[in-house]
Amino acid sequence: MAQNEELIANVVRQVLKEIGGAAPAKGAPDSGISAADYPLGVKRKDLLKSPRGIPFEELTLENVESGRVTFDDFRISPDVLKIQGDIAAAVGRAQIALNFGRASEMTKIPDARILEMYNSLRPHRSTKEELLAMAEELQNQYGAAVCAGFVREAADVYQRRKLLKGDLPSTD
Amino acid sequence: MAGTKRSKRFEALENRPVHLDGFIGEWIEVGLYAMGSPQDPKPSIKIEGDKIVEMDGKPRSEFTAIEQFVADYAVNTKNATEAMAKSEIELSRMLVDINVPRTECIRLFTALTPAKVARVLETMNVVEMMMAMQKMRCRQTPANQAHVTSAKDHPVMLAADAAEATFRGFKEIETTVGVVRYGPFNALALLVGGQVGRRGTLSQDALEEAFELEVGMRGLTHYAETVSVYGTERVFVDGDDTPWSKSFLASAYASRGLKMRFTSGTGSEVQMGAAEGKSMLYLETLCIMVTKGAGVQGLQNGSISCIGVPGAVPSGLRAVTAENLITMCLDLEVASGNDQTFTHSDQRRTARTMPQFLPGTDWIFSGYSAVPNYDNMFAGSNWDIADVDDYLALQRDFKVDGGLRPVQEEDVIAVRSKAGRAMQAVFEELGFPPITDDEVEACTYAFGSKDIGDRNIPEDLKAAERLMKEGITGVDVAKALAKRGFRDVAESLILMMRQRVAGDYLQTSAWVASDGTVYSAVNDPNTYMGPGTGYKMSDERWEEIKSIPWAIRAEDI
Amino acid sequence: MQINPELLEKIVTEVLAEIEASGAAPASAAAVTAAPEAVAGVSLQEKGPASRGTDPKEVVLAISPAFATTFKTTIVGIPLSAVLRQVFAGTEEEGLHVRVIRVYHTSDVAFMAHQAARLSGSGIGIGILSRGTSIIHQRNLAPLSNLELFPQSPVIDLPTFRAIGKNAAKYAKGESPTPVPTNNDPMARPRYQGLAALLHNKEASFQDPSKAPVELAVSFE
Repeated sequence: MAQNEELIANVVRQVLKEIGGAAPAKGAPDSGISAADYPLGVKRKDLLKSPRGIPFEELTLENVESGRVTFDDFRISPDVLKIQGDIAAAVGRAQIALNFGRASEMTKIPDARILEMYNSLRPHRSTKEELLAMAEELQNQYGAAVCAGFVREAADVYQRRKLLKGDLPSTD
Repeated sequence: MAGTKRSKRFEALENRPVHLDGFIGEWIEVGLYAMGSPQDPKPSIKIEGDKIVEMDGKPRSEFTAIEQFVADYAVNTKNATEAMAKSEIELSRMLVDINVPRTECIRLFTALTPAKVARVLETMNVVEMMMAMQKMRCRQTPANQAHVTSAKDHPVMLAADAAEATFRGFKEIETTVGVVRYGPFNALALLVGGQVGRRGTLSQDALEEAFELEVGMRGLTHYAETVSVYGTERVFVDGDDTPWSKSFLASAYASRGLKMRFTSGTGSEVQMGAAEGKSMLYLETLCIMVTKGAGVQGLQNGSISCIGVPGAVPSGLRAVTAENLITMCLDLEVASGNDQTFTHSDQRRTARTMPQFLPGTDWIFSGYSAVPNYDNMFAGSNWDIADVDDYLALQRDFKVDGGLRPVQEEDVIAVRSKAGRAMQAVFEELGFPPITDDEVEACTYAFGSKDIGDRNIPEDLKAAERLMKEGITGVDVAKALAKRGFRDVAESLILMMRQRVAGDYLQTSAWVASDGTVYSAVNDPNTYMGPGTGYKMSDERWEEIKSIPWAIRAEDI
Repeated sequence: MQINPELLEKIVTEVLAEIEASGAAPASAAAVTAAPEAVAGVSLQEKGPASRGTDPKEVVLAISPAFATTFKTTIVGIPLSAVLRQVFAGTEEEGLHVRVIRVYHTSDVAFMAHQAARLSGSGIGIGILSRGTSIIHQRNLAPLSNLELFPQSPVIDLPTFRAIGKNAAKYAKGESPTPVPTNNDPMARPRYQGLAALLHNKEASFQDPSKAPVELAVSFE
């Protein structure tokens, strides 16, 4: 029995180490953030602020009523998305970190344009040239290099799999 | 059988509700087959550099868009050779072995191909799957999600039902519509009502993808879930998306600080007529891996709206259990179905829920109907509000934390009434069609929409359209509530708006406590390693579960 | 509403036989439907490729690949000729008329109706699957959005089909009608979903991804 308990204890330690609870974070060399800093809203409010710099603690109903804080202040910043990505990576979730990396780039794109871009990426909506132009826009206008690469990759796949505009027999 | 003398016993059996269910036989060629079809691909992998050049018997040049996406984003090539070399039995035994930690299982399962994953699950029976779920789910503490809908899309009734649902313990609530243009009002009703019932509630409005994102951006919802993925290219395209568009959408949600999960489920491909002869579980495995590859934190699966299909074929409910488990094995949050009617038999519907209820999942139901099923606009859930005392009894019988708590009638009446009055105030402040005191009263005491009057629908629809056109946001709603004296509700709305800034609930399996603290698989990871480990019900929680109000207490006699 | 086990069995047998006979080649199945069609009560003649209309008084109705050919009735046995008659009547009550197209490239009801809406002079389209699933659509909406959706085929009856035609016409006139009341039967899925899957697989086997929509001449007998 004692052996089993020891085994369990060992494994629990290993688990805790791997999830980064006790050990230093593995995936966050820049921010120095580990899973131990999570949730940021409780433990690291100092890192959180609105896009124009209003501290997290001041995002209150009173300040909304006085007009000091507006709807646009309740937006996640690209830095916080990167930190959350680091936390995800530190606990072994690489794809989430990649997703938050794309998201971090997208914070600069206006709502309406994001919706349009999403619709353009849907099947049979865009020609290859249109998708490549969108990738250019992402890269040059918004500095979204990762997103641009992702859209270029889609353009190639859509061409190979006949998912571009004009690949359907429908008329209008 | 005319003229044949009938057995009274057989006649009686034929009149049982289970005989109303549409059972059908397997049909391998079109994929009406639950798991382990002879037409499923055989596992294989070839890697050159870090690129997969062959997967499950197919060369890269022939990959569908889905297969390419899965190969490039969802299979960890670093560990693939090691993981693929293990036999299916070896891998399934690791899942049920308490001495193998969850993290080790995750390391290997995230390096398998879709065909291999599906085959591992074929070696398991449901009890083994349940044992594995106890260890493999991401978040240690289980929780529950409710549907809140109305056959009349009645905004006041929706707000009252949302308040009752969250007061009863549902941490996430989801709505959809009868009439699509009511969408904005339904979102508003859950936003307000959900916070009245419990501060910290996450709410969503399941509608067309682009619309869902828009209401989320506005702060009228906190998360999205009905972002569907499919296992064959044709059905994916019929669903008007590709893995790339869906991933882009996922990033768009994160970029606005909104939680999201994808949705899929066994049977959807064959239901849409394009399963290409593959088993439901194999195709579902591809969906789960698309989700993983997109970097989305979680998935709603468990057949969902197609449950009538696996529910009709042999081993179907085993496949449904298996798909939940695969989601966990890929380290994704799972909202594990149980959210749609699939049988007339009370025995079958209870049994269908046990594989998720007993071991616990992140979200045991991805939609317990918190309204009567006749009001359920997801076309009915496996359990509805009329079953809620049965559910409370089951939690108590088995000492299982199913996420709900017993409540007192007067408390429920109070939260329903408050939610109705809050909606009345918001409507008046924003200049929407008036809500009368009589409407609030009717909705406070109603069982369902049959007990309440009709709204002027065309007027409501015009106002709902105006809500979208004028760009009304969650902050506007909070201001309206504060102005009209619902300060605490307004504070709750702001507390939830702040979550968008912190982004903590973007992590895997997150929910928000009433003080604003987020609990997820990061700070509440599953540590189960056999008896005496993992989730342990607190004494306080056990007292709560025990005290169903209608139990006879010795001290009262 | 009674489920029809004979129908189910018949379809399974028929489809299995067909697969055996043809090696499951959908193209040959699609070719069969190009012939003039026979279902009691209505005649549907293919007139050639469907074009974009300019008449603001038309509503375009898209029917699925095997509507009123292989399939004679909805999932609950309503004759498809009667379905068409009611949609026509409902639209005509509002002073508008219906133009019918058959869609081959998809059997997804939302895409079918969206296709219809894009061809429609009024911008309003209707889509109906053989099993009865229906939708009213508008040109400028996202394909998977809709004006009104009737997802539960087993609960759609003839008065509902008439009301669908009527409301489509009202949208075409720029009105905001009260949506057709939808029956919600939570027990429809347990009873019919497996069967619906069978039926849809049968219908989808007539799909031809390379074939453009075709205009139909409709005459009731």
